[in-house]
Amino acid sequence: MNSSKQLRMTVYTSLFVAFIAIGAFIAIPVGPVPIVLQNMFVLLAAIILGPVWGLSCVAIYLLIGLAGLPVFAGGTSGIGKLFGPTGGYLLGYLPAVFVTAGISKGLGKKMSSDVIAMLIGSLIIYAAGVPWLKVVTSMTYEKALAVGMYPFLIGDALKIIAAAFIAKTLRPVIKL
Amino acid sequence: MAHVTPFTYRQGQSLLHLLDVRCKFFIICIVSMSLLSAHLPACFFYFLMLLFFFKKSGLNIFATLNSIKYFILLLFFVFIARALTVKGDIIFSFYGISITGQGLNEGFLVAFKFFLVMLTGLLFSTTTQPSSVKSAVQWFLKPIPFVPEKRVAVMISLSLSFMPVILKQAKEISDAQKARCADLQKNPVKKIIRLVLPLLKKTFLSADSLVLAMESRCYSDDRTDPEFLPSGKEIPFLIGSFIISLSLVWL
Repeated sequence: MNSSKQLRMTVYTSLFVAFIAIGAFIAIPVGPVPIVLQNMFVLLAAIILGPVWGLSCVAIYLLIGLAGLPVFAGGTSGIGKLFGPTGGYLLGYLPAVFVTAGISKGLGKKMSSDVIAMLIGSLIIYAAGVPWLKVVTSMTYEKALAVGMYPFLIGDALKIIAAAFIAKTLRPVIKL
Repeated sequence: MAHVTPFTYRQGQSLLHLLDVRCKFFIICIVSMSLLSAHLPACFFYFLMLLFFFKKSGLNIFATLNSIKYFILLLFFVFIARALTVKGDIIFSFYGISITGQGLNEGFLVAFKFFLVMLTGLLFSTTTQPSSVKSAVQWFLKPIPFVPEKRVAVMISLSLSFMPVILKQAKEISDAQKARCADLQKNPVKKIIRLVLPLLKKTFLSADSLVLAMESRCYSDDRTDPEFLPSGKEIPFLIGSFIISLSLVWL
């Protein structure tokens, strides 16, 4: 990779870090629960940046939050958040972004493969987040699922469809 | 983040403001870790100490509590869940749901600990400049192999400077669409696309010109190391925090 391309990817990756950080603040009012766009940006980072840069994007996001800058949901930060009740979702972004990017790359960058990749990515986020929530708050599995997964599923489906369209339109614009 | 949240940096000249940021990192790590295995009296003692430092740094504790009210609500749920599920001496019960003394105790302790760790992090982020956080991250990543710490530091400062720009553009785009009655759109997928797509396009184009600007100024990863300005009170603070964490674990 030559240095020009590397610099371009560095800037794009930092741009996606910023998007993930403010994704928690951009909410679209749909029904009673507003749709928060954070995990959509994580998945978009995966399918646009690819496995390596996508992974470093999420890693830097978590590092910034861990270092105490207010980038986690609600303007919070720190070790307390990362190991608190909702920390599993944040740590789940790491494997999710890698797997999503890998699948999207492996299947060829088509809309259908993007949708499959993002579906699997979201499942990984929940697979990390819900058991974590269960252990930390010592709820039962039914309760943890009811609080930490079911209310968001419809919104997630909408976000995945939107993200597939966005990725399709964005790829020609971004010169990778 | 365009508006001032309680977590953003506030200028000041207090003891915590002047303390070296690396030292603050160390203190936060060891205190947070030891807090997790602390008992109730130690937690209360630590809470009083936090209040003292809040006062000292010129922060309003009530405004702070108000702004993290959703987090406190979440902690309340944690408390309820513990109170209902932990087995022990039953205080009262109805319809098969019973609240136990042990459950109340343990639930309160867990919720209180999360609250304290949160307040500690908040105290850190309000008294530390983002740029010095970046330098500290670079300093800590240096001994770790295969991590390009200088590039990571550049990426952190880039993304920090992108954040207000993106928020401003998101506001502009949604205002422009409101003026064109985009609120009437009922399809949520279209709603998301119409906000995010122009936002991403705009910011990526401006990122392109940023890349060009950096290239034409011969940017490279080989950069000058950041300077730190220790206030000279780091050693007593480190010793003090060691003593506090040890007493948190043993008390």
